[in-house]
Amino acid sequence: MNLLRIELHKILPYRTVWIILATFAILLTLFLYASSQVSVNGQQLGESMYRLPAFWQRLAYIASFFNLLFSILVIVLITDEYAFRTLRQQVIDGLSRADLVMAKIYVILALAATGTLFLLLLGLYFGLLYSTDRSLSAIFGQIDALFYYFVQSVGYMTLAMLFAFLIKKSGLAIVGFIAYTIIVEPLIHFRLPEAVDKYMPMKVMGSLTPMPLQEVLDQITTPSEVLSPALAALLTLVYIALFWLLSYYVLKLRDL
Amino acid sequence: MTVILDIDNLSKRFGSIQAVNNLSIKVEQGSIYGILGPNGSGKTTTLGMVLDVIRPTSGSFTWFGQAITRSTKQRVGALLETPNFYPYLTARKNMEIVAAIKGVDNANINSVLQLVGLEEREHTTFKGFSLGMKQRLAIASALLNNPEVLVLDEPTNGLDPEGIAEIRELILKIASEGKTIILASHLLDEVEKVCTHVAVLQGGVLRAEGPVSTILSAKDQIIISAPDTARVLEVLRQLPFVEKFQPNRELVHLTLQDNFSSADVNKAMFNAGIVLAQLTVRRKSLEAQFLEIIKKQH
Repeated sequence: MNLLRIELHKILPYRTVWIILATFAILLTLFLYASSQVSVNGQQLGESMYRLPAFWQRLAYIASFFNLLFSILVIVLITDEYAFRTLRQQVIDGLSRADLVMAKIYVILALAATGTLFLLLLGLYFGLLYSTDRSLSAIFGQIDALFYYFVQSVGYMTLAMLFAFLIKKSGLAIVGFIAYTIIVEPLIHFRLPEAVDKYMPMKVMGSLTPMPLQEVLDQITTPSEVLSPALAALLTLVYIALFWLLSYYVLKLRDL
Repeated sequence: MTVILDIDNLSKRFGSIQAVNNLSIKVEQGSIYGILGPNGSGKTTTLGMVLDVIRPTSGSFTWFGQAITRSTKQRVGALLETPNFYPYLTARKNMEIVAAIKGVDNANINSVLQLVGLEEREHTTFKGFSLGMKQRLAIASALLNNPEVLVLDEPTNGLDPEGIAEIRELILKIASEGKTIILASHLLDEVEKVCTHVAVLQGGVLRAEGPVSTILSAKDQIIISAPDTARVLEVLRQLPFVEKFQPNRELVHLTLQDNFSSADVNKAMFNAGIVLAQLTVRRKSLEAQFLEIIKKQH
């Protein structure tokens, strides 16, 4: 826990962190607010969209697009430490390489918790405003969507951490991370049968926050094979462990 | 004497460059140990290895007779290459982070900031510091947990003459408290003024090692002349404290054993009835000695 305290000392006065968190909060709120104004067939979408408990899943799905912001923040925080040579100094002053990675894992958990908490507040606010059924079972019925969002968020950021430790330079690491998540892995999916590619990290993490109305789409087109969120969560934990271990070995095998 | 740092056959290779080659040295308690060498001679690489940030290719080292661990690190304070801090944090905030890592109380921060003369600037962000202040903050941070050993890599690099003098005074002050200091420098003058022991590195190879007095302060040369050179040579041959002499046209160059000076030569000559026409002491420059050490083993 001392490691988390040290990290908070670094992060709390850092303006970049607050700017990225504020961007996340503002964009997500605006997005939700704006969608309520869309009218379909003369009827405002707002009402039905915010209805709990189904709203939790929609919320998690929308928020999943903002994982990129958190991942970039993690990359910035880690590559900064290379630029300032503070990783090196911390090892000289007494930390081990395992401590360095562990400290960033704590940061990732704290960021994911912050994001999830914000989602909970947003969900309760918009949900209670528009839902007619306000029983506990209606409000918290599908709240597990938030848990899956949390796991997904940690997964994305752990992969970002690996890119940051591996590449060291902020710009290159961000480009590498985006290139892998948005271009390289989807290209690989394209080449592989679905039975195989559904186990790849981006697809596994994507399955944690399934698109709302996917069932409707599946009736029109050929249904695509996806993992259940529970199985995806389990596999994401395996990937998190893998990225964590790889980050550690990157640090262990290199000079600082 | 207790050996603080024992380096045994340490080597580091970066691709095709052999940065450090089978280096073995021992640093004893209470010494101010200088690692002297030109830029690129492997000083920082050596310190980086013993400070756990560079992986040795081969060889080993111990601190206080043990492998490096968190507990040995807590007995060593170090500044490697550059002062490394968060630029957007104030001096005090940066020190609080170091205090948390080293597991010491924040109360120590005031006294070390005072020691390096930064107590007035504790609320200035690190990026607003001058190079000299950054360097002093790094020394303060190395001293934070009152370590037994201080490792300083080029601590006066980039400082103005006043800053250099301040840092040197600070080092001597710290050493007078009985701490062991390991100091890497490419400045001969610095090592000669500050250190008790020195290891001369070149191209990653140890060229010479020992007390500064034997390695660097080679003997002064005395030049004499007299009307009758032959007679002078005859007397010199009989003087026990003359180490060697070399006639050079009408002049004679000679070196003396320790604790003898040109006055002794003058007296001996006078007693033998010779009046010297010339008596000059030529201090051998440190640079010349250094080049000699390096050339000798090529």
